[in-house]
Amino acid sequence: MDFLLEWILPCIYSFGACIGFCLLFNIHGPGMLICGGGGALGWLVYLLTGLCSATIFPRYLAAAVAITLYSEWMARIRRCPVTSYLIVALLPLVPGGGIYYAMRYSLSGDNQQFLATLLTVFGIAGTLALGALLASSVVRLFITFAHRTRK
Amino acid sequence: MDYHGLLNLSVELGCQLMESGAEIYRVEDSVLRLMRAYGAQDAQIFAIPGCITVSVSAENGEPVTRLCRVDAHNTDLDHLELCNALCRQLCEQTPPVEQARRQLADLRRRRPRFHPIAVMLGYFLIGAFFTPFFGGGLMDALCGGLCGLAIYVANRWLAPLAGPNMFFRTLLSAAVSSLAAQLLVYAGVGQHVDTITIGALMILVPGVSLTTAMREVMAGDLVSGVSHTAESILTATAIALGTGAAMFLGGLL
Repeated sequence: MDFLLEWILPCIYSFGACIGFCLLFNIHGPGMLICGGGGALGWLVYLLTGLCSATIFPRYLAAAVAITLYSEWMARIRRCPVTSYLIVALLPLVPGGGIYYAMRYSLSGDNQQFLATLLTVFGIAGTLALGALLASSVVRLFITFAHRTRK
Repeated sequence: MDYHGLLNLSVELGCQLMESGAEIYRVEDSVLRLMRAYGAQDAQIFAIPGCITVSVSAENGEPVTRLCRVDAHNTDLDHLELCNALCRQLCEQTPPVEQARRQLADLRRRRPRFHPIAVMLGYFLIGAFFTPFFGGGLMDALCGGLCGLAIYVANRWLAPLAGPNMFFRTLLSAAVSSLAAQLLVYAGVGQHVDTITIGALMILVPGVSLTTAMREVMAGDLVSGVSHTAESILTATAIALGTGAAMFLGGLL
């Protein structure tokens, strides 16, 4: 039961939220399931890496890399831009909570906590960018290499 | 070769791509490939968020240029995929320019849209799923969904009052949703005002512009990359300000 609550449910929440974003961004058909799957996968990787990493940044990095690889793969299969899947699947990782708590701390005059939270927010956003950048560069390199050896 | 028609075709394609939320390098690359496929080897394109310029030399050496402003973009990923597919098809088959322009216009007319009720359901789902995601209970999830609907209402009917400025629109939506969350908790429906507010706020979070910005920086488009980064920071600030103002108001009442 604990297993279900801790590991599976959050991924289902992430899946459902991504389906909601598909309705907002006008994604139809099987694309919705792919986006939802990406969101669930990202959060699963985030949770799993929690077992071997105490700090959050490596976990966000791993999740972003996993989502990017997944989206690139799906985009190759369905022959459409990778953006659609990447944008939606990354959304659950965006630090919305951090923005909110930073605002709460600044409102209550707790400058120390405010700055710390703000830096974490920027750190997470940067880490997500770095992870996605890293993964898609590697994919691009790999594809160029594969094309060259085939010829 | 009808260079004027070709120029119009490629600018219209670029506009549709940008309107549906494509990255700048995708717009530039698609237009350039289309022009090359039709034999305009010396075509030049320059695009920044909100503006496309395409220039080509006609066969008598006379330069022809068209500039097109693109309105504030919403994200329509299905349309983006269709435009991309059409661009590929045009590059491979190069049908007559007039026919290609008709195909492109058809695309805009026939674009599949979700019914407004489905979109409302989308807002509800995001709020309802993100609230337990951040640690709320079942009733909190319901409240999160209702706050998501409040954001839809604010986006649709209140935000036009704030004019075309994205900053004030986001600020207004965030404030409305935060007020709704406080009201629901005050009425005893939900319990945790924090998680409900965060869950609904995830709708407004600038994930799209953040992703776009980073892909553009990676592709070397520093101008648009930096402007999208600024957009996402401003949106985040607007969310914080709107929620903060609503919290302050709620504290007074």
